[in-house]
This record gives sequence, structure tokens and C-alpha cells, in this order.
Amino acid sequence: MHELSIVKDIFDTLSAHYATKIDDIQKIQVTAGLLSNVQPVLIQNAFDAFIADNRQYRDMELEVIVNDIIAHCDHCQKDFNVQYHRFVCPCGQPSTQIVQGNELFISKVIFKQHVS
Amino acid sequence: MSVNPANPKSAGNRVGSVQCDNTTLHLLKANDYVAQAIRTRLKDVCVINVCSSPGSGKTTLMQETGKRLAKDLNISILVGDPETERDAVRMREVGINALQIVTGGMCHIEAQMILQALDHIDLTGTDLLFIENVGNLLCPSAFDLGEDYRVTLLATTEGDDKPKKYPRMFLTSELMLVSKADLLPYVPFSVDAVSKDAWEVNPNLEVMTISTLNGEGLDAWCDWLKAKVQAKKEAANQTTEK
Repeated sequence: MHELSIVKDIFDTLSAHYATKIDDIQKIQVTAGLLSNVQPVLIQNAFDAFIADNRQYRDMELEVIVNDIIAHCDHCQKDFNVQYHRFVCPCGQPSTQIVQGNELFISKVIFKQHVS
Repeated sequence: MSVNPANPKSAGNRVGSVQCDNTTLHLLKANDYVAQAIRTRLKDVCVINVCSSPGSGKTTLMQETGKRLAKDLNISILVGDPETERDAVRMREVGINALQIVTGGMCHIEAQMILQALDHIDLTGTDLLFIENVGNLLCPSAFDLGEDYRVTLLATTEGDDKPKKYPRMFLTSELMLVSKADLLPYVPFSVDAVSKDAWEVNPNLEVMTISTLNGEGLDAWCDWLKAKVQAKKEAANQTTEK
């Protein structure tokens, strides 16, 4: 959906948190829930386009982890996997209490190994 | 985990060590902060975010609602479109206080645009503020605009298979209005099928069938609005009393 703005947001967030150390980042991992409307292929392409334009980041890698949608059923007191956007527990009880699937965040940052 | 940007926690590490940070740096969160600011600012105004695909009858419904509720409620509207002032002009024609938000080709309204628009529209005495979103069932679903309720229109000409195709829109809405109900005898659209599809995505979704052409369902829609405005005012009064 808004893959390019998400990529810009990734770099804004990283520079806010790591300042100049951002240049030492080798790899970042982004976790996106299925409900965040993020397409891994599109975000990868947007990321590649961004680092092609911003040469200082040209060696940086991106990994996208996609999380399934998980909802909680009050009736069973258990979490269940939401498949095909059917927010109904296997027991038949509908539920929109989303436990996982809305999230979109940088989950891991790996820095370059310096050999002195 | 919070990291001080002025003093990155990795700064002291010796050169030569591999470092891996497990983080929870949330992305696109700025919109949610701004949305919260809008909620704080509009404590006693009921805000309704109206979404749908282009051409499903948002603007006509807003005009008709304005006419019907003119005596009961003071209504204002922020109208979002990629280009032109046309919809705001249509609103003012029926006497509704309106401000156009031209998104400049953008496919959705963001909270920041609403916050800025609030400085340019006089909401003194306003009970109900509509935000007419850009016609699009996908992108607007991801942007909280500080609204109290999200209402999604689905016209009978669009097909009854849409809730499952655009799940996030229907998942984040409180009410689905099946519009252009006067066309039901002529189009292959089942209100039962669309409701069933929508309830699988969002079991709490309310469904109403309306037609701005023959007036079907508009009384129920207006009653729904009046009840929501009343609830918002009561909630605002309770917080001021405390």
C-alpha cells in the first residue's frame, strides 16, 4: 500500500534512534502483521529503490517477517488463527479481539562487523 | 525499548564485535499520535469518518443528511478529494458548514490534514462533524483520523463480495450502509449475502440499507446519528463534572 512512505519512515526512525551509527547498520528486520496491508515484495522493491537513490545505505539489507492474524476467543479462553479473514473461532464464536496481525515495526537491527 | 538518540546504547561497544539489537520501533505511528490530539481537541463533537469507493453516494448522503437533520443538529463537514472544491460547494448549497481538503492526488486523508483543517473551519456550536474520506476502500482503512465512528458505504452496484476483498475497511468500521437500495430489483446484489460476508470479518458491524433517491432507511440512519451525538455529549459532560 504505502510501501515507499513506510521505507522512508524506516530510515527516519533509524536515524532518530541511532544517529550517525545508522551508517554501520548491515541488516534490518521488519515485522508486519497481515492486517497492516504491507506486501513484503513491494516493500522490498521500495527499499531497493530507496537505497539505490541513497548511496550511503547501498549495502543495507532488509528482511520482512509476516505475522499471521491471531484473535482471542472469550468463550474458549484461547487464541485462534484467523484464516481468509474469517474472524470466527473454530468453536463458532465470532471475535474481533486481535492479539496479533495489526503490528508494523522494526524488530531487529544488525550492525556491521568491523575488523580492526 | 527506548533509545536515547543523543547517546546510542551501542556507542560504547568495541570495534570488532557484532551487535544485534532486538527492537520494537513502531512505524507509521505518527498518524496515531495526531489522531489522539484531534480526539482531545474535539471532546464534545461527534466525529464520523465516512468511507467508500468513488461513486457510492457519500456526498449525496451527506447532503440529504444535512437537509433532514438541519433542525436537530448543527453539522459541519470536512470533504476530502484528490482534486477540486466541488464537493464542498455541493455541501454549502444545502447550507452545511464545509471545508474542502484537497489531498493533491493522495489516495487517503491523514490525521495531520484534519488537524490543520481544524484551524480553518469554525466549529463553534457544531454537534456533528463528518469527514468525507477520499473514495477508496483500501488506504483510508489504515489511517485513524481521530473519529468516534467509521461508517462505510457499499453501493448495490458494487457487488456483494466486497467485505472479504477489503477486510480491513470493514473490520475497522462500526456501521456499513448498503446504499442505492432502490436499485436492488435490478442488480444481482444480496443484502443477506453481503451482511454474512461482512459479519465474518467483523461480527460487531451494524448494517443498514439506505436509498437517498426514495428515502428508504434514512430515518434509521438519522436516528443512529442523533443517538451517537447524544452519547458523545453525555460522555463529555461526565468528564467535565469529574
